[in-house]
Amino acid sequence: MVNELGPNVALRDDELQRIAEQLGRQPTAVELHAFDAQWSEHCSYKSSRHHLAHLPATSARVVLGPGEDAGAIHLGTHAGERYAVVVAHESHNHPSQVVPFEGAATGIGGIVRDVLCMGAEVIAVADPLRFGRNAHARHVAQGAVDGIGAYGNAIGVPNLAGDVYFNEGFDDNCLVNVVALGIVKESDLIHSFAPKGAEGWSIVLVGKATDASGFGGASFSSATLDAQESELNKGAVQVPDPFLKNVLMRASYRVFAMLRERKITAAFKDLGAGGIMGCSAEITAHGGYGAEINLDAVNVAVDGMPPAVIAVGETQERLLWILPPDVAFDVVRIYNDEFSLPEVAYNARAAVIGRVTPERRYVLRYRGSVAMDVDIEFLTGRIRDELPYSEVIRHAGAAPELPAVDVETLFPQILAHHDVASREPLYRRYDAVVRGCTVLPRGAADAGVLAPIPGSRLAVALAVAGNPRYGRIDSAYAAEHAVVEAMRRVVAVGARPIGLTDCLNFGNPRKPDQYGSFVAAVEGLAHAATELDLPFVSGNVSLYNESADGHAVPASAIVACIGSVEDVAQVVMPGLKEAGSALLWVGSRELVLGGSVLAEILNVDGALPKISFAAERAAIGIVHDANARGVLRSCRVVSDGGMLTALARLAFDAMLRGRAIGAEIDFGNPLCEAGGFICEVSDASQIDITGALRIGQTVAGSQLIVNGVQFDIPGLFEVWSQPLAELYP
Amino acid sequence: MKARIAVPVFPGTNSEDETVRLLRDCGGDAELVHWTSAPALATYDAYVLSGGFAYEDRIRAGAIAAHDRIMDYVIEGAEYGKLVFGICNGAQILLEAGLVPGTGPIRRATAAFAKNAPEPHFVCRHVYLKLEIEPARCAITAALPPGALVPAWAAHSEGRLAASPEELERIVSDGHLAFAYAHADGRVDDAAVPNGSALRCAGLINRTGNVLAIMPHPERDGWNFNHLDRPSGDDVLAPSGGAALFRSFIEALS
Repeated sequence: MVNELGPNVALRDDELQRIAEQLGRQPTAVELHAFDAQWSEHCSYKSSRHHLAHLPATSARVVLGPGEDAGAIHLGTHAGERYAVVVAHESHNHPSQVVPFEGAATGIGGIVRDVLCMGAEVIAVADPLRFGRNAHARHVAQGAVDGIGAYGNAIGVPNLAGDVYFNEGFDDNCLVNVVALGIVKESDLIHSFAPKGAEGWSIVLVGKATDASGFGGASFSSATLDAQESELNKGAVQVPDPFLKNVLMRASYRVFAMLRERKITAAFKDLGAGGIMGCSAEITAHGGYGAEINLDAVNVAVDGMPPAVIAVGETQERLLWILPPDVAFDVVRIYNDEFSLPEVAYNARAAVIGRVTPERRYVLRYRGSVAMDVDIEFLTGRIRDELPYSEVIRHAGAAPELPAVDVETLFPQILAHHDVASREPLYRRYDAVVRGCTVLPRGAADAGVLAPIPGSRLAVALAVAGNPRYGRIDSAYAAEHAVVEAMRRVVAVGARPIGLTDCLNFGNPRKPDQYGSFVAAVEGLAHAATELDLPFVSGNVSLYNESADGHAVPASAIVACIGSVEDVAQVVMPGLKEAGSALLWVGSRELVLGGSVLAEILNVDGALPKISFAAERAAIGIVHDANARGVLRSCRVVSDGGMLTALARLAFDAMLRGRAIGAEIDFGNPLCEAGGFICEVSDASQIDITGALRIGQTVAGSQLIVNGVQFDIPGLFEVWSQPLAELYP
Repeated sequence: MKARIAVPVFPGTNSEDETVRLLRDCGGDAELVHWTSAPALATYDAYVLSGGFAYEDRIRAGAIAAHDRIMDYVIEGAEYGKLVFGICNGAQILLEAGLVPGTGPIRRATAAFAKNAPEPHFVCRHVYLKLEIEPARCAITAALPPGALVPAWAAHSEGRLAASPEELERIVSDGHLAFAYAHADGRVDDAAVPNGSALRCAGLINRTGNVLAIMPHPERDGWNFNHLDRPSGDDVLAPSGGAALFRSFIEALS
């Protein structure tokens, strides 16, 4: 059947049959590619959407939940205006594995458009990264990091947060997740569906000339069904153009201002998977309309491209507006004349390419004939695959028996471990401070912080989490832990957690065990978020992260947490502040080894640290309270490398700021990664000590004294700084 | 009448907004002028060229922008004696345009901010600019104390001063070396230099001292909330730190 219809596509036979039955005829070549894209997992979430519905998505602060290109959450009020943070989270895993620089760069490019098209000013990006440990993985890591930097730096958006893990499980499939934040007055939010009364309005395509990039994958593949499916989801790599994007963003900000002045409600949407067809169909269908597009009006890079390529190809740096015709004229003028897009990149421009129709059809015309004419609901409607999955066996773990550890030998090994050593050699390639709003730049603390509204004391914090060492052991646990850890990181800088996003990076949904791991992770996220009363406002699913020999990547539910700070003066600044402070361990501090760096070094198993949500809520309260009373001097989350690593990093941060402050502590096993916070407080009597344990105090000088063992802080800093600097000079 | 400052925007500029904001917060009357409105530049009294990647850093950072129509107005203004202050990409453009050190003909660069060394990649790092000239030698630095330390962020992949040995000699002997990289305590050594820059140079001026080109961004450490060592009690929204250089620039205009 596939061959009779022309080129091979990734649609299954039953799907092709449905299409032919509904149309009452065989689909045209363009229609075939359109359904192929629109019904792919990437666009339709056909095997994941019904599970994702379990994630909590509401709270008093949610301005816009999942469903559009990005979510939005209330940050605060300034000068009588309500402001929202817009957030989107995506993966660009497969392209980054194949072509690391371009793959990762277009990841940033895409996520930035998702935020921009909500009418927001883009204020930050973040990049949770997972790389393998073989020689090729190093090449992938280097290329991906350079690509992220090249794109983000050029468009002038600071890289505020992110993390990097190295694990053999990513040797064949790296994970490049990207998060973008925007800021917008809530009244100025632009939606990605045609508004009321939009019949007859203009459809305006803006950006790069459409070319054949990003059209390949399934449509040109003549491989087996399995390989086709894999290719479909791996997608084809597009070509990044951050220079054009820089101008496109600034021109769009100008358009936003014009629309506000004229009080026009428009719709704006990013072109992603499915290209012009996918974007124009969804933006009109979700408003209750149809669309008629003239492919001859599309600005193309080369003549003679097949209509299917123009319609469905995924050329980067393009967006689509729905505007009243007279306004469309002015918008086109801003892009093409005021910002001279055609001079910035070859044949880049804004152009009216179609109109919104009351009939609920999706029609594409090309050179005088109809290339596509289908029911728009049928094209964009929600299709669903109920795939079988197996229950995941939860990790029981060994008895929480601790081997006697030699801190003196092991702690330097932990600091030099690939999951603990300083990430600075990588993130220093990112601009962390462009826009001049940065309060805590990338790497300065557990979360990045910005003061995004000029003249306002409001600040926003951002952190990411998702530990693959836990993912390898227990998918659901790793997902819960990712929520908790991302939240802790935001709390540690003095912010109040207000919302979450997620990207679920898993294996092949057609393999019940790999799909089961995904389903368990969704339940884990849902459970943790519900317990902590935090909504998921946007998210993304990346499946088929599977190596050629059939192994899925470590279960990777990666979570970003957004925090709000009422007054930027309340942000907890990095590093130990004064000798003579009390050091408290607030929150969970179970002495178990499961999934820890120490367990990896000792090659032992162990129970995973239990997550008590009651204890988490209490710990957040203690940290907030200490900060509000002005007794909290510094704070860090106990994470990879354990409590002693957290303490050492507080000492490093002090040293980097010219303060020689050490610590003297006494604690059973300071290398466990149970979680919680290390807090430096000026007066422990001010703290509700029931949830906190005093482990020692800060001292003058450059010594870290742990259970009587003395470490030299600058020496430890060297040990921690070197490993990645040598790998990534 | 208050002097009017233009912050020209080339295709690819990315630091224009915070530059205008800090100029205004320091009392300046600054506004953006986009490349399609270049002729309007003639009516301004001073120019601040901000950071970014004008024309995608093609050939070499600043090389194409130096030939943009915008620079016709800036060059004319500089020759007339107007103050011109370039930061990062703006500094690269001023070198490519031959305005600093200004020892050769216009648009024939005698020195360049070249690819960082030894690692030829982008680096984002907090630094200090140490004033190496008599403050009054340059109008823009005139209100700074001698040996002033200005906090800033280096964020570039092409910031290493490169020139012939004779030209470097001239830069030193004729007093073009305005700023060197320094540590927080004022020490100037190689460890303070983020990019392998010759002469540890962070900023250059022209002969007449009305054109200043600096690589690091003072405007990114320009308000109290930007400082990682912010003393508590200060107004977090007040300009400070890197703002000292902006204030000095504004003072020179009044």
